[in-house]
Amino acid sequence: MNTKLKVSNISKTYPGCIANDKVSLEFGSGKIYALLGENGAGKSTLVKILSGVVKPDEGEVFLNDESIKLNSPLDAKKNNIGMVFQHFNLFETLSVFENLSIDSYKKDEDLRALVNEILKKYNFKIDLDIPVLNLSAGQKQKVEIIRCLIRNPKVLIMDEPTSVLTEQETDDLFISLKQFSKDGILIIYITHKLKEVLSLCDEVAVMRKGKVVSVSNTIDEKIESLANKMVGENLNTIKKKINNFKNSEEILKISNLNFKSDDPYETNLNNLNLSLKKGECLGIAGISGNGQNELFQILSGEIIAEGTSIMFRNKEIGRLNPRERREYLMAFSPEDRISQAAVPELKIYENVALNNFKSSNFFEKGLVNEKKIKEHSKKILSNFSVNTDNVELKSQFLSGGNLQKLIIGRELITSPELLVCFNPTWGLDVGAINYIHETLIQINEQGKSSILISTDNDELLKLSDRICVIYKGKLSKIMNADTVTAEKLGILMGGGSID
Amino acid sequence: MEVQLIKIEKRNDVSRSIYFLTPVLAIFLTLLGGGIIFYILGFNPIEALKFFFITPISDLYGLSELLVKATPLCLIAIGLSFCFKSNNWNIGAEGQLIFGGIVGGGVALLFYNHDGFYVLPIIILSGAIGGMLFAMIPAILKTYFNTNEILVSLMLVYVAKLLLDYLVVGPWSNPEGFNFPETRQFSESARMPILFDGLRIHAGIFITLITVFLSWLILYKTYLGFQIKVSGLSLKTAKYAGYKGKTMIIIVFMISGACAGLAGVGEITGPIGQLHRNISPDYGFTAIIVAFLGRLNPVGIIFASLIVALTYLGAETAQIFLQVPKYTGQVFQGMILFFLLGSDYLLFFKIKFLGLKKNEL
Repeated sequence: MNTKLKVSNISKTYPGCIANDKVSLEFGSGKIYALLGENGAGKSTLVKILSGVVKPDEGEVFLNDESIKLNSPLDAKKNNIGMVFQHFNLFETLSVFENLSIDSYKKDEDLRALVNEILKKYNFKIDLDIPVLNLSAGQKQKVEIIRCLIRNPKVLIMDEPTSVLTEQETDDLFISLKQFSKDGILIIYITHKLKEVLSLCDEVAVMRKGKVVSVSNTIDEKIESLANKMVGENLNTIKKKINNFKNSEEILKISNLNFKSDDPYETNLNNLNLSLKKGECLGIAGISGNGQNELFQILSGEIIAEGTSIMFRNKEIGRLNPRERREYLMAFSPEDRISQAAVPELKIYENVALNNFKSSNFFEKGLVNEKKIKEHSKKILSNFSVNTDNVELKSQFLSGGNLQKLIIGRELITSPELLVCFNPTWGLDVGAINYIHETLIQINEQGKSSILISTDNDELLKLSDRICVIYKGKLSKIMNADTVTAEKLGILMGGGSID
Repeated sequence: MEVQLIKIEKRNDVSRSIYFLTPVLAIFLTLLGGGIIFYILGFNPIEALKFFFITPISDLYGLSELLVKATPLCLIAIGLSFCFKSNNWNIGAEGQLIFGGIVGGGVALLFYNHDGFYVLPIIILSGAIGGMLFAMIPAILKTYFNTNEILVSLMLVYVAKLLLDYLVVGPWSNPEGFNFPETRQFSESARMPILFDGLRIHAGIFITLITVFLSWLILYKTYLGFQIKVSGLSLKTAKYAGYKGKTMIIIVFMISGACAGLAGVGEITGPIGQLHRNISPDYGFTAIIVAFLGRLNPVGIIFASLIVALTYLGAETAQIFLQVPKYTGQVFQGMILFFLLGSDYLLFFKIKFLGLKKNEL
């Protein structure tokens, strides 16, 4: 039976952010569709709308030309839309079969017969009577898929399914998905991995900043072209004047950085080497989830990478925590400004006190020097044009742009020799972005160095002196920014190589 | 079948005054609930509540008893507030109290028939250290072996209880005590000074008040207090700021254990005067209610400890005058916690009714 799914003019606005802006897409059974986009591009919101978790402000969803209302996940199930989320929703201590029977209304014998039939048909090898916690990530995912298949889905949506899978498991998954597609199930595959799109999908829709920017057949696309569509290829911005740092003093040197995580959702880092000169900005590009998070935390000292040498101004700092690194004049601006760089429930001056080191005298003899902190905070608010002068304000009442100015201001007012920032302008409006960019250029002009980890290529090309790309936990060679083009970045971000 | 759909939403802005007023509301609801229970049991609710909450403190003796009970509750709750504020769930204050009592009591027995002004301070100090060391067990297991502190601290309560049982029955039992499970009465030099003749209120209350003041100072005026606050709100931020998370876990457990140990030693050198099986009517557990009823705020905890202490006294009076078991006290304590959690839920979340919907599954 043919299935047609159509979303028409879907819009969804969250406070301060348009997640979906008049999104219209059409899907038909027999094909595998990719929905491609950066984190925050709006693909998750669209998927949540299709699975009934989120209600759109505007727009309609049509299944076989009939408008359907998806007010709850139950509605999605009733309309035979199945969904496998990135994070599994399984009870670890229950057996596979118990997990499957929880939301099924079939008799146990019937259900078991049906599940066995599915297992046989798709050649899945799973013991139904062992607890889920004994399964590998790939097997757990199969349980989730079986849970959808029990309901004879017309549409199956897979959200970033390969992030926890091994290569072998990924191959197996692709074989199964192609088989489902042959059996007439419409498959929508959400990812930001370009290679997967090319090897699995028939059609690809790219989303950026809440909008669908392109729909095309994957045969017509290459990794670079997709990467450019994802991160934007608008290069009409002024580049920073690139200096020659040949004779400058080396300020940071990292050799053989290796990091292996116990958490399957994290990325391992392999043999990273980089160095940075005084006054230089090193840009690190890449599609999110390729190890940027881990690299930032290793630079800030939140993660200590055993056996790695980090030399900063000729001192070994690899084993120091963030506070101790600040004493050596490093500063950090993490990606998550709302719940990591600042605490929303704390007042502005308390958030300023988070960046504390000896010479700041915020805490003399272990006591809080509130007066000093408040004076210092006032200075940050005025020097970095934060839109308030009330240091008693809770930071949850600051807009994203003002909060980021406060954080950058807090990190920079101590004149650090190195600022490490991670997606500093993520989700900000143009005015705030320009302000942050000017500030970052300014510190380089003052002879201070910076490392800019960003998923925004425009930003990287505008601000960096040298650029490299992180892909699957490995760094590309480091290139001078004037020799880098968006095309080259695109190839490297997709895992390709350039000469 | 049609069902009403509801949705729970987080409230963005909770007024500070209402935040501190909800405990009062919870107490009011507890009185209401208690009245209903008494009515069902066949008593005149107003009379019964009067027996429960007014009669016990209508004379000097009653007031003194109130303070005797509030002293350990307040002390333990203050200590727990350090743990709870920083997201460490120390549920084993009862065990830390008992262990503090055991160590302090052991030292008191060592000083049996020994005079000197230094005896009592040494006993008090050793009680505090005892509680502190006992609290470090869950803390160290949590930091180095990733165990769950709720489980470990709770289970250690029974270890402490059984150890006390063994000591008062076996090696430490009173040689002239006809095999009663208790130690000798401590010497006069090992007892807390009584403040007024004929009343049981003792110098332990000063230890509590000093601790409350010091805690306020630490929590609101020091770097340590600031770190505890940040860690409680966001562990991610604490990590980013470079706070030593493991050290802090151990410090808050040490403070909390020391307070519980002090409470234990205050009980055995104060009103009890010896070690026996039941040196605490679950003060360590009840103090958890006190800590939350007082909003983990030192001043709030003082008031909360007085109110909860009253439920202990009320239960005793009610047992005498109304012939109801003294466990009604625990019923009231349970109701306080229930209504507090209930009103907190409504304080932080709102319930939205989304209208009727057909349930087809």
